[in-house]
Amino acid sequence: MADRTFPIEGTLDLTPAHVHEHTWLEVLHEWVTTVDHKKLGIMYVLYGFFFLLVGGAEALAIRVQLAEPNNHFLSPEVYNRFFTMHGTTMVFLVGMTIIFGFANYLVPLMIGARDMAFPRLNAFSFWMTAFGGLMLYYSFLGGSGLYGVGNAPDVGWFAYAPLTARAFSPGNATDYWALALIVTGVGTVGTAINVIATALSMRCKGMTLMRMPLFVWLSVVTSGLTLVTITPLTAAQIMLVIDRYLGGHFFDTQAGGSAVIWMHFFWIFGHPEVYVLVLPAFAIANEIIPVFSRKAIFGYPAMVAASVGIAFVSLGVWAHHMFTIGMTSVSNAFFVLSTMLVGIPTGIKIFNWVATMWGGKIRFATPMLFLTAFVFQFLLAGLTGIMLAVAPWDWQLHNSYFVIAHFHYVLVGAILFAIFGGLYYWFPKATGRMLNETLGKWNFWLFFIGFHVTFDTMHFVGMLGMPRSIYTYEADRGWGHLNLIVSIGAFIQGISVLIFTTNLLWSAFRGKVAGNDPWDAWTLEWAAASPPPVYNFPTEPSVSSRRPLWDLKHPEDPDWKYE
Amino acid sequence: MSEEKKSGSHVETIHLPAPTAWPIVMAFGLMLVFAGLVTNIGISVLGAILALFGAVGWFRQVLPHEAHEDVPVVVERVVIETARRQVERIVVDEHHREHFPLETYPILSGIKGGIAGGIAMIPPALLYGYLSHHSIWWPVNLLGGAGLANWHHPSTADIAHFYWGGLAVACAIQAVVSLLVGLLYGAMLPLLPRHPIILGGIIAPVLWTGMIHATLNLINPVLDSNIAWGWFLVSQVTFGLVAGWVVSRQEKIQTAQSMPFILRMGIEGSGLTQEQDDEDHKA
Repeated sequence: MADRTFPIEGTLDLTPAHVHEHTWLEVLHEWVTTVDHKKLGIMYVLYGFFFLLVGGAEALAIRVQLAEPNNHFLSPEVYNRFFTMHGTTMVFLVGMTIIFGFANYLVPLMIGARDMAFPRLNAFSFWMTAFGGLMLYYSFLGGSGLYGVGNAPDVGWFAYAPLTARAFSPGNATDYWALALIVTGVGTVGTAINVIATALSMRCKGMTLMRMPLFVWLSVVTSGLTLVTITPLTAAQIMLVIDRYLGGHFFDTQAGGSAVIWMHFFWIFGHPEVYVLVLPAFAIANEIIPVFSRKAIFGYPAMVAASVGIAFVSLGVWAHHMFTIGMTSVSNAFFVLSTMLVGIPTGIKIFNWVATMWGGKIRFATPMLFLTAFVFQFLLAGLTGIMLAVAPWDWQLHNSYFVIAHFHYVLVGAILFAIFGGLYYWFPKATGRMLNETLGKWNFWLFFIGFHVTFDTMHFVGMLGMPRSIYTYEADRGWGHLNLIVSIGAFIQGISVLIFTTNLLWSAFRGKVAGNDPWDAWTLEWAAASPPPVYNFPTEPSVSSRRPLWDLKHPEDPDWKYE
Repeated sequence: MSEEKKSGSHVETIHLPAPTAWPIVMAFGLMLVFAGLVTNIGISVLGAILALFGAVGWFRQVLPHEAHEDVPVVVERVVIETARRQVERIVVDEHHREHFPLETYPILSGIKGGIAGGIAMIPPALLYGYLSHHSIWWPVNLLGGAGLANWHHPSTADIAHFYWGGLAVACAIQAVVSLLVGLLYGAMLPLLPRHPIILGGIIAPVLWTGMIHATLNLINPVLDSNIAWGWFLVSQVTFGLVAGWVVSRQEKIQTAQSMPFILRMGIEGSGLTQEQDDEDHKA
């Protein structure tokens, strides 16, 4: 073990200001041709945030439609397109892009590298993802294409067979869905390879695997899981395209194919995909909670093991989405037990976050507010997940709004809350300016209230029997008042997101100057300037513990003595 | 990415990968290849050409030598410091392990408590049936109705009538559930730090009754409509008080937490406890 921590030989970019002055065309060219991981990371996040607004607008339209019985705010066809595009957008164009944006921006900085391992592949991956999203949304204009009728995809985000067969989905809307996701999938795989290669081969001196920030560890695990899970999805989509274009029968039951095979292919991607999205949320929590609790993370090795354990177990749980198709008792029992097994490593994480906060000097700045809510809400999401893992319970509530409420508790209550927290935390690093704390508090509390008004109530709507994806309902079902409450909550969340957008735009130009280390944090990115120069660090850092900046700030009590 | 032209302890320029448009050209081309499948084959051909150009351009960026740009560096030493100089250690109470129960009730006490509580709750249930419906079999049939044949949409008179099957099923359910809840009490009471009778005998039955009241309508609406919740609560509290009282009167036994660590780890060895030493000495 080293007897002292690293010296960072100065990291302020003092390049004369006039060097950075460009016309807007030069700026545009600079961003389009960039291979810098930071610019690409920012583009990923902005791209994802743009589609968050788009997908959010679709959700609000859906909620207006469902706010009262027998409503016709949207036509049935547009309603189907909106819920399909909302789900597809939020998973593939918002969740995936923002988490890979964070990984792109932060992994090299956190390990003391100057860029990703494959900078050009990094740019290519981003643009594949971006063009895939544009292609998907072009379907609103070009969905009818040359051959038939139709518009944007309307088969649900899981696109079950045989609905996707040409006989039931004429036109090209479903083709746009499959092809666009193949394109984004190429980009996703490229980024995953890049993250793994970067973390494994470009760490600075002294940064052993067990000294890597947990954010980097979880980015590696997420990327590994991505590589495994995108593959069956892409394979299934290619089979679907073959069915639709070349007369294949993979999913055509009447011709010897199997619709259930599609479900297996989709969910062996789809369930680990939840962990692909939520592990980065864990990664953000692992960085923010210790800094704002003023304590080192509790149980670092257990957190690493739990992350790897979650990834491993998550690959064996997919058919809990399929309890109602009539599997054998052995299959049901296996997937019930394997699903419950996930509760062990996730429970370890929750205990460790609480243990990190326990006895700490907690500062409830906006990032910490979001992450505190994240812990609480992810716990609740996990509990309803355990309920749905019980096959008989699932038989009653499958495809009901209870399931919708459960997975929105994960995707919004855990992932989106963590993403907001991460944006507040690292925005100063990326722009050099702080996001406004007052607006941040408004953002948090409105989003928190809106979230619970919407999704807590949605559980009850589901228990009262409301199925997912229905266009409207009769007044005598007794769902009207609860649906109205759900919709009101959705609009409160919408207002909150608008406040965040305002904060983002205002603070980027007028926000308080942040300095290099506004949160008094401990990982390497806070040793770089804000925003960091293109080369990140003029000289390679050298570290001796998991919290190199703590060691510098507290030379009398460095971490390496205890690790 | 390498460093050049050292000046003192710092470098003056750093090699970084040169910006390039070829990745975006190739990505756009590949997207068009797929987009052509749903628009026009010409789009796919154009996309393939763009992708090919993009790939060639990309290769020329890295072969035979990687294109790079020299980024000038001007640096000064950054002072990394904190205003929070003081480090406090969290003081851990040396008795903190006592939060784990060092003593607990034996399993047999839970069984006894369950039996006693199960018997004690019968009188209020029967009293309710007699006062409300002039039949002591009303609560019996409510509990054991599932064991009766043709027990669909029973009338009030049906529920008040005597059935051997209903009595047998009700007795079985009462016995099994009472034993299980008694065991739960035996395990739970040592964890309740103060006032175990109040917590286990009153608060827990009230919460339990509230949970059943909130959910029974979803699980079994017919049963829900026939239950008098006030009387139900009385019988639950009776069970709780009696079972808790019986369990708490039993003699406690030591848990594994009171043993030395090496014994808890399952490692055998003589002379590890005073008691064992004494026993060995007597032998």
